[in-house]
Amino acid sequence: MARRLRSALTIAGVALGVAVLFASLSAGSTMDAAVDRAATDEMGHAALRVQALEERGLSQEALSVVKRAAGVEVAAPALERKTYLAASPNQTPSSTLPAPVTVLGIDPVAEPLLHDMPLSGGRLLIATDAQDALITQTMASQERLRLGDTVTVSGASSGPQAFTIVGIVAGDGSLPDAAGRLVIVPLASAQALFDSTGVTRVDLGTPPGVSADELISQLEVMITTEPYLLQKTSDTADSLRAETADFRGTLLLVAAVVLFAGAFLVFNTLSMTVAERMREVGLLRAAGTTRPQVMSFVLLQALVLGAVGSVVGVAAGIGLAVLTLLWVGSTGPVALNGPEISLGPVLLAMIIGVVVTLAASLEPAWRAGRISPVEALRRGPAGAVAGARLRWLALVFGVLALAALAVWPKSSASAAEARGSGGLTVDSAMWGPLVLYGLLLAAVLIVPRVLRPLLRLVGIPFRVFRNEERLARSSLARDTSRTALTAGALVIGLAMVVALGTAVQNVRQIGATWLTETIPGSELLTSIRPISATDPIRDQIAVLPGVKSVSPIGLFGVPLAGLRQQAAAIVGKDFADDGRLTFVADGGDRAAALAALDAGGAVIVPQSLANESAIRLGDTLTFTTGETPTRLRVVGIVAHSIPGDAQESILVGWSDALGPFGASGADFFAVRYEAGQESSARAAVDATASQYALEPADLGRVRGTVGDALDRVFRLLDALALTAVLVAGLGMVNTLSMSVFERAREIGVLRAAGMSSRQVWGMVVIEAGVLGIAGSLMGAVVGLLVGGSLVAWSIGSLALAFDPPWTSIALAVLAGVLISVTASIYPAGIASRQSIVRALQHE
Amino acid sequence: MPTQPPVSSPSEARSPGAAPARPERDGTILEARNLTKRYRLGKREVDALQDVSLKVRRGEFVALMGPSGSGKSTLLHLLGGLDRPTSGEVVLDGEVVSHLSDRDATRLRREKTGFVFQFFNLIPLLDVYENVALPFTIAGIDPRHGEAAARIKDVLELVDLVGRERNRPDQLSAGEQQRVALARALVAQPAILLADEPTGNLDYATGGEILDGLWRSCDERGQTIVLVTHDARAAAYADRVLVVGDGKIRDEIELGRRAEHDARPLIMRLALLGL
Ligand SMILES: Nc1ncnc2c1ncn2[C@@H]1O[C@H](COP(=O)(O)OP(=O)(O)OP(=O)(O)O)[C@@H](O)[C@H]1O
Ligand SMILES: [Mg+2]
Repeated sequence: MARRLRSALTIAGVALGVAVLFASLSAGSTMDAAVDRAATDEMGHAALRVQALEERGLSQEALSVVKRAAGVEVAAPALERKTYLAASPNQTPSSTLPAPVTVLGIDPVAEPLLHDMPLSGGRLLIATDAQDALITQTMASQERLRLGDTVTVSGASSGPQAFTIVGIVAGDGSLPDAAGRLVIVPLASAQALFDSTGVTRVDLGTPPGVSADELISQLEVMITTEPYLLQKTSDTADSLRAETADFRGTLLLVAAVVLFAGAFLVFNTLSMTVAERMREVGLLRAAGTTRPQVMSFVLLQALVLGAVGSVVGVAAGIGLAVLTLLWVGSTGPVALNGPEISLGPVLLAMIIGVVVTLAASLEPAWRAGRISPVEALRRGPAGAVAGARLRWLALVFGVLALAALAVWPKSSASAAEARGSGGLTVDSAMWGPLVLYGLLLAAVLIVPRVLRPLLRLVGIPFRVFRNEERLARSSLARDTSRTALTAGALVIGLAMVVALGTAVQNVRQIGATWLTETIPGSELLTSIRPISATDPIRDQIAVLPGVKSVSPIGLFGVPLAGLRQQAAAIVGKDFADDGRLTFVADGGDRAAALAALDAGGAVIVPQSLANESAIRLGDTLTFTTGETPTRLRVVGIVAHSIPGDAQESILVGWSDALGPFGASGADFFAVRYEAGQESSARAAVDATASQYALEPADLGRVRGTVGDALDRVFRLLDALALTAVLVAGLGMVNTLSMSVFERAREIGVLRAAGMSSRQVWGMVVIEAGVLGIAGSLMGAVVGLLVGGSLVAWSIGSLALAFDPPWTSIALAVLAGVLISVTASIYPAGIASRQSIVRALQHE
Repeated sequence: MPTQPPVSSPSEARSPGAAPARPERDGTILEARNLTKRYRLGKREVDALQDVSLKVRRGEFVALMGPSGSGKSTLLHLLGGLDRPTSGEVVLDGEVVSHLSDRDATRLRREKTGFVFQFFNLIPLLDVYENVALPFTIAGIDPRHGEAAARIKDVLELVDLVGRERNRPDQLSAGEQQRVALARALVAQPAILLADEPTGNLDYATGGEILDGLWRSCDERGQTIVLVTHDARAAAYADRVLVVGDGKIRDEIELGRRAEHDARPLIMRLALLGL
């Protein structure tokens, strides 16, 4: 009975570990597949994409140079812009902006050669000059448009233009950024619509035998007059993948920790079995069974537990994967569907489940093999030193981690080789989780050392139950190694939850400070297209009552050292007046730096970039803008700068932005209200803004959205990490049942001496409570340390006030204690209901 | 039935803290009436006890003897309320104890009975003092002060363990461990002490120490004792020996209270019975 329960619990523990592992592998490969699909959707059959870096796009000259390059079979230029559908006359004006649409101007001949455009109705574009358009199925249903209808889109100065819908592209179309709202028109029409002569990108098709890399080296010497970016399909996939790498790494880490907790369970169970069967094994040995036979008996048992657990785990993992993907919803712009169940992750999860189980059983098996017949029959104390056992388990896991590391880069490196580059992102993303894993492993080793004093300390409040506490504590002290193992699982589970929580809190806080530190206002008015300096919008809003300042900020890319660097154009004076930006020590003088920005020829660099590229105050940065490079002097280094897509922006003045960098205008305005007038002035500002297609957003709301997205992901991770605590709970049931079982006689004696069944019950529950509190507290401390070091590691120093989420930590500790106490109810019931006579007769 | 000689007197040694004695007219403190205990083994039913009746008088030392499997332990468990009979009843100190609820049975064990078993009487992680003090700690009485402390000191003296209070069971010899168990069983001054082969695991000399302890508690303090044993030498300490066989009381041998515990007369009587 006790044994069957133990096996069931162990299987459940292994199964939970494998389930989380499988879910994380499967979620990972689903994300990968989605990303790959998105990347191929976007790049089509093109070998290479020449991407304009400046807002005005690639010039006509550059385009003809590209077309002439040897090895270019097809060149498909396109212009991509976001705009709005022109309001239909019968539509009532509303204060909320409609969703934007993306207009894609294409070469009707070249484009279909490189990009599949499956139609759900109508035909492709044919004539270059026609006012014909394709729209996506999604948009057709959203806007209730049909073939033959007209779709009118707002343009630049020339005003809105109407297009006739001649075809409907299936689904969302191939531009992830467009979110399904895509209008495809001939390139010339798009250029006319947006007053542009440039193109956003040129996709290049090569004949077989010409590699993208050959083309790259050729183009690099041919186009030197303007900045651009060369992109292969693999780069697109990589950049999309890089966004999910952290998440996937953390998912795997959580899975590893849950498995680790599961391994504790296996280890504990088999150790108990071996201890319990000491005599049996001794007899077998005396009867001539060899040492390997004894060991294989234990390993076989582990194999069965591991195999059954893994099968159950994968089944449960499929469900978990579905839930995970539903919960996450999308990775960046790429939407996720159901999980892709392929044989790979299934096998991998099962193999890892079995291997971990076997690894955890090695030591018990070895111990069983070492049982000498004589000793077993004498029945010596079976307790080894706790540290030794844990050290062994930690060693096994260290080796497993190294093995995983050895396997990991190989697979991603070979994949990277196929793509030509990349791969590095995945590796570096794995470092964080690996370090965390190592820290947790190390923390477990400390458990036995601090357990005893901690138990004593934690027991103090339970002294009210003088007798029960004393007995419970001594029972915990009886087999320290088992207690340490049981607590150990709890410790890592909780440490994980707390460490993640601490890290999130920090990210969230950085996010919050970031915005308030870098935005000179409390409201943002964002535009989907740049607003030029001559546009009267800014002044119109600035004169509204209660408005103190309206500061234009433009975001654009600049070529720095061959890479795209995010840049932001700001008005230095506004930042100076509003007291924004924190200059680091030796980061220059704020007033002087901001004034220099407005004067031109100067740049302010974020600390992250300065550290990364060893940039110091007074250095000159050279930007490869066309024929004449632009040189800017570094006048300041700031702790945080305006966040861009993937990195923090460098800050430049508007004169440089509009001049050499070719920025065309502001992407958003930061509005500062007069003190106390925000609520009254707000409505007028928002109304004026939406007249000009500016979307108002409260800074708090922006922060909130960022925080919500983070919360969502981290709540998932928390839930998964709590699985580790749950597994620890199973271990607790196991250990306590075992301990009750072993103490049957002792409990019988206590009962015969007048202990009530309620007191016996209390004794076991207190035992669990003390262990739970000790384990959870230790877990919280370890988690704080680990989380703290993660934070310190990721931001370089603990510059920000280290402010862990105490409430969540308290909740996690409470959860740990509750799970422990819940785990004790079953064994406590057994102990209290046990027949005294039976217990005394036993053996 | 052999006539029963009067028991030697000293029941005035009972201290005020013990359960109030409700003296029966004939001095009976424990009575079993028609006890049957039936075990079900698969489909077969085994009567471990069949219709057993007996009486024990206050201050009496009774030994239960009999071959292995005859039902001695079963009887002892029923007498002490550790188990319930299939039929029949047990009256201890004026209270029917054979059909108590778990709660009342617990109270009974705490207040009126003391047990000594053959093995594993002690809690390994508690020291001698704590083990002896268990009945008090269980009852929520602080054993370090007051009357409880005095009683513990008293029983430790009785079993000659003064000075070993802080030792753990594994630091004691088997005989010493058994003496601790005896001290614990006696400390609450139970109405009856029930011992199941307390010397079964000990050598001759060490067993003698335990038997001396039992004897002194009975003779000097008037402790009522029921002792289960295989051993005629142990049984020879008793005032009366009940011979159990096949779940029944086969015979009763009245030895009377004697200062000498020579086993030879008993062995001869047993031999006459074919045992
Ligand atoms: N829990 C039980 N289930 C089934 N049968 C039992 C149980 N306990 C005791 N018995 C049976 O009852 C009978 C009497 O057992 P008991 O332990 O009372 O004998 P005993 O006289 O104490 O023997 P020993 O001298 O070996 O201790 C035996 O036949 C035994 O097999
Ligand atoms: Mg017996």
